[in-house]
Amino acid sequence: MRIRAAVIVALLAFVLFGIPQLFSLYYVDTMTEVAVYSIVALGLGVLVGRVGLVSLGQVAVLAIGAWSAARLLFATTQPYPVVLIEAGLITMVAGVVIGLPALRLRGLYLALITLMLAGAITIVLDTINFPNGGRGFLGYNGSAITPPAIRLPSIAASDKAYFQYSVVVAIVMFLLVFAHIRTRPGRAWAAIRQSEPAALATGINVTLYKLWALALASFITGVAGGLLAGASHYLYSIDFPAQNSIILLGVVLMGGVYSMWGAVVAALLYQFLPALLQNWGVSADWLTILFGLGVLQVLTTAPAGLADQVPKDLARLGRLLRRRLARAPAPAGGDPP
Amino acid sequence: MPPWSDFEPFIVSGLALGGVYALSGVGLVVLYRATGVLYLAFGAVGAMGALVAWSLVQAGAPGWISWLVCIAVAALITLGYGLLFGPPLSKRDPLVKAVATLGLTLVLYGVMDLLWTTSGGEARSITLPTDNSGFTVASIQVNWTQVIGLAAGVVITAATGAFLRYTNLGTAMRAMANDREITATLGVPVRKVEAAAWLGCGVLAGVAGLLLADMVALDATTLTFLVVSSLAAVLIARLRSIALTFAAAIVIGLVHDLITPITSLTNYRDMTPFVLAAVALLVVSRRQVMSRSREEA
Repeated sequence: MRIRAAVIVALLAFVLFGIPQLFSLYYVDTMTEVAVYSIVALGLGVLVGRVGLVSLGQVAVLAIGAWSAARLLFATTQPYPVVLIEAGLITMVAGVVIGLPALRLRGLYLALITLMLAGAITIVLDTINFPNGGRGFLGYNGSAITPPAIRLPSIAASDKAYFQYSVVVAIVMFLLVFAHIRTRPGRAWAAIRQSEPAALATGINVTLYKLWALALASFITGVAGGLLAGASHYLYSIDFPAQNSIILLGVVLMGGVYSMWGAVVAALLYQFLPALLQNWGVSADWLTILFGLGVLQVLTTAPAGLADQVPKDLARLGRLLRRRLARAPAPAGGDPP
Repeated sequence: MPPWSDFEPFIVSGLALGGVYALSGVGLVVLYRATGVLYLAFGAVGAMGALVAWSLVQAGAPGWISWLVCIAVAALITLGYGLLFGPPLSKRDPLVKAVATLGLTLVLYGVMDLLWTTSGGEARSITLPTDNSGFTVASIQVNWTQVIGLAAGVVITAATGAFLRYTNLGTAMRAMANDREITATLGVPVRKVEAAAWLGCGVLAGVAGLLLADMVALDATTLTFLVVSSLAAVLIARLRSIALTFAAAIVIGLVHDLITPITSLTNYRDMTPFVLAAVALLVVSRRQVMSRSREEA
């Protein structure tokens, strides 16, 4: 356990201080997006893996967070962390208000209703647009030729500093979720996922804890939206197409929904691989195809995703190699069959 | 509020659109009842068929061959998926089966975007010969494609209803909708019946893809996500009744198009299926109780 903690700390130190030094600005920006989307993937992972709620509209939730944060950043001079928390809270309220009636539905119906609602949110955002420093409640100025950029935190005004800022926020969000999973809500969610009637029978308030999961996931997704607003400088509704929610669900399933590392793997698949391919001049469509095949593979053979599968496969490979190596020095002895 | 005459043409186009949604919805319901799979790749296979047909027309093939190929492509992809992934997933939750078809959607979407790239603003289109001829009813222009759209919806709904009611295969599908295990015990060749349902659904996907490519747009993203509109109709019918699916699809098509001339709402018209489905589901779910049958869970 102590070794594990040391590895995690070393890894975080490398991410925080190594990546901005070693990588070009292109990849630092990409890694900022990875940090942002690891939070989104974590939220979806909580819903899918802990409570068994499949959401097909997380990108729309992210868009709500980004919209609120952008509006607040233009309208006020509040410090960044306050804006992030406020964006998270606004998104949380939106998620709970939408979720409260939808939670009566289960399984397939709930998944489809999230798809419908996400479609509706996407259309509304297409029409009202993202704030770009204009006046009024919506803050959109359609005739602005060079709209002002969304401001960055004063302590993290450069791209590299903003990357570190995003990673720190992501760590805080991971710790927040970790604290939930390790305590009462986490146990309640596990019981609900196993069997809802059984959880009810043991006195767990199923509706409360489902809403709690929804609120937590919406909150951290809203915070991620706030980070994304700063990272992108300018927001457009075409950055949040409805189909990305499906791709996001795909990578989250591939990454693995039962482990928090799965969220990091998912974010790397979702943001880092496309950037890598773009750099190599390979079409991102190949990735979409790969993700589709990955979803089919995960659902048919490996339900716990890459975060679970790869260590297992490596361990199996290690055992195989060790057995081979152990056998090799004594070829003359004649192994028993 | 614009004058009534502005709305008149949209009644026709709305009915036609509703007809196509209805035939898609019927395909989705039949497949769901027979196999437990909600086929979310319905729009994507239709789009694939339509794009292949477009390429054939560009290469000089006669129209009717390209239409048949469109339907065949959609049917074969659907049947292939059903044969390959139906059995290993048959014991899983309906949600898992539905999400797996999203995997197929992503694969098809990637392939379409790769082969038929949409950069440079070149708009593809499929035109059926029925687009340019038509007639006038009470001073409303109607073209034959719109008639085909509505008629296909009506005919497919009625024919599927009769098929499920009166044929052996249809009876077997209804039996499987109730209980797969017992049906298998009674000697019904479960795999063959499922394959028939996949094939039928694929054919309908091809027809819908062809008609929507003509009536709406020939574009991978648009067509892939148009399935959501028929999905809304299916949801309103609670994945059960094909008659209700038909009615809901017509209402969605009509409301969508009738909103178009109203300036303040026109930007929001694509929300119609989402809003109608969400409201319908939430109203229906108010009467739900905790215990329910396995298939609905």
